[in-house]
Amino acid sequence: MEKFTKAFPSKPLRVPKDRQWALAGVVGSGNLEVMFERAARASDTMECHVETSIPGFRDSWLAALADFARHYPVGGTKVTIHDQGAAPVLVNLRLRQAYDHLVKTKP
Amino acid sequence: MSQLHLFHEQTARQRIAAVTDAGSFAELLPPPERLTSPYLAQLGIPVSFDDGVVIGHARIDGKKVYIAAQVGQFVGGAVGEIHGAKLTGLFKAAARDRVPCVVIIESGGVRLHEGSAGEIAIAETMRAIFECRARKVPTIAVIASDIGAYGGMGILSTCCDFRVMTEHGRLGISGPIVIEKWMGKKAYDSSNRALVWKTSGGKTKYLLGDADALVHDAAGAVREAIGKLLTKSSPVTLKNAKARQKELEKRLKRFGKTADPDDVWKGLGVRDIATASLASGPEFAALAKAGRK
Repeated sequence: MEKFTKAFPSKPLRVPKDRQWALAGVVGSGNLEVMFERAARASDTMECHVETSIPGFRDSWLAALADFARHYPVGGTKVTIHDQGAAPVLVNLRLRQAYDHLVKTKP
Repeated sequence: MSQLHLFHEQTARQRIAAVTDAGSFAELLPPPERLTSPYLAQLGIPVSFDDGVVIGHARIDGKKVYIAAQVGQFVGGAVGEIHGAKLTGLFKAAARDRVPCVVIIESGGVRLHEGSAGEIAIAETMRAIFECRARKVPTIAVIASDIGAYGGMGILSTCCDFRVMTEHGRLGISGPIVIEKWMGKKAYDSSNRALVWKTSGGKTKYLLGDADALVHDAAGAVREAIGKLLTKSSPVTLKNAKARQKELEKRLKRFGKTADPDDVWKGLGVRDIATASLASGPEFAALAKAGRK
């Protein structure tokens, strides 16, 4: 098990505040769950907390998260991830799904 | 939710949304509460925000219900301390408020990583179910996924007033692999899917009277079956328990020595095994009913 936390610069989230959290994925083999929450803190960073069962891939995680924060306006959010060995492409997909759930008015 | 989705392919939250009135579901102890398993964390196993079960209240045809759905992909939907406590609390709330309670089961039973705590949690949930039944508050188990309801969750499902199943659902105590380990591959081959589903699947359970409804693998069909049962309850009385015991004795006498599950189907009205195997939920039920006449 490896845990780490890091914040990444990102453009502020531009959606109404009625939705406070959103979830995508499930903690299963080769899968992960991603939860977006609105953070009380700075609106220009995405705060990330990762827990993964596969140690040793911190650099890949940080690169994937930094890339996501650069491409999507997710400043002012907190992202928590529980991972059970997902491939990077799936991490990216789950982040996008959770973001979609957060910004869409209807689930 | 679209009818194009198969119920067994949906996620726990999608299933709840699909069987309840649009937008009526309010989740209790939602993911941001982070009620996760302390045991899994100690063992270095990833935890889940909801500990593998979604609970809350919603409306079905305007009528308030408490509802839970297990997440089969997270440690096989297995019940740990937190997971079990969420179920216990939900049924206790149902008994207190006299509101029907529905549980969509997808679980292999107790989570072995927290065995004793999980066993106790299931026992407490059963007690809460009987509190509901003593007050004539309907309790309904839905068993409609390949994981099914096994171990403690299999027993728990039979404590409820009613069980709604699809042909995908399976109901039992020991799972197929466990039976094979104890009895040998000759006695029970767990890799033989036809055998496994014919002994523990929804169709057989419906024929035997263990399931009260056998429906199509679609949220709309599951919802309709739940709706019909929401106003009914099956009282726990000595008379009913004795009658049930008689039924089970009769079943044992009739099929106890049978090695081929097809004999059970035939004995309960199925005339053409091949046609019945291909028939889906209600069509299968109709075939068996016609065959008994």
